[in-house]
Amino acid sequence: MAAAVASRLSRLLGQSRPQLGRPLSSAAHRGESSARMWKILTFFVALPGVGVSMLNVYLKLQKEHERPEFVAYPHLRIRTKPFPWGDGNHTRFHNSHVNPLPTGYEDE
Amino acid sequence: MTHQTHAYHMVNPSPWPLTGALSAFLLTSGLIMWFHFYYTLLLIAGLLASTMTMFQWWRDVVREGTYQGHHTAPVQKGLRYGMVLFIISEVFFFAGFFWAFYHSSLAPTPQTGGQWPPTGILPLDPMEVPLLNTAVLLASGVTITWAHHSLMEADRKESTQALLMTIALGTYFTYLQLSEYSETSFTISDGIYGSTFFMSTGFHGLHVIIGTTFLTTCYFRQQLYHFTSNHHFGFEAAAWYWHFVDVVWLFLYISIYWWGS
Repeated sequence: MAAAVASRLSRLLGQSRPQLGRPLSSAAHRGESSARMWKILTFFVALPGVGVSMLNVYLKLQKEHERPEFVAYPHLRIRTKPFPWGDGNHTRFHNSHVNPLPTGYEDE
Repeated sequence: MTHQTHAYHMVNPSPWPLTGALSAFLLTSGLIMWFHFYYTLLLIAGLLASTMTMFQWWRDVVREGTYQGHHTAPVQKGLRYGMVLFIISEVFFFAGFFWAFYHSSLAPTPQTGGQWPPTGILPLDPMEVPLLNTAVLLASGVTITWAHHSLMEADRKESTQALLMTIALGTYFTYLQLSEYSETSFTISDGIYGSTFFMSTGFHGLHVIIGTTFLTTCYFRQQLYHFTSNHHFGFEAAAWYWHFVDVVWLFLYISIYWWGS
């Protein structure tokens, strides 16, 4: 990958041609344009890949996760200094169902 | 002699480097005032000043290039060097966070249970949303390449369509990451795991937002007919930046989400 990046780098710095610009003459060998190839890749590979991954997430989320028991480990839920927002004891993306405070879950 | 006899761009005097430097000072001192004294005025002023500086400076670059014709071939070459060097500097920025992650995870301390992930940490399943995020960013790399080739082949409709799809995918990634952040059982305050996870993925997410903004700017410029089929460096710079963001994610995914679980 490093070699490909390096050769791409030297090519693009040497001229003002667009980085990923393949000359249309070589694309003509395919009988198609390069844009058409990337369009096909988009709709037949890339977007279906996203779709399959979305389905996978949806199926996995059907299983309900049990919340682990609270253990007051000293190396977790560190509060050296209050957070500069709210009451200073909740992280920015605090979710009371899954994030316990240093003293335990809030809804227990 | 009333005209230049060289192909380079002698930029007119501009206040934006000064306002940029002032905004940087306001941002840094503002963060300190906020973190240590819960005082936000300096930070807000800094955010405002830096946003105004960026908008006006880059607006001027577009005016100089697109409307005034200053971006000749050698000037464009200089812009290319500039963007490449900037991206390289960003690579080093992320390298620091990866260093911190590997330093902590390759030799876990007894204080965290002598294991990685540390005792009590339930890492995210790399095969759930993180995998979807990977598919989303990889797909966005394909769509932006489609957009670029369409642009070079002067296909306005497809170029715009592909660019919009790229922006949509980038936005979807950001949405997914934000919802992940709200659902994880561990937080930034959960020791070294939390720190390395959220600093790395957090800055990455910020870069995704920056990249999406850059692409959106390209969309508006495209609508205003700024790009031609063989002169569209702003678009290329956005595409390079976007690929960089994608590559950083791949490293994050493999290191932190996959190996680090």
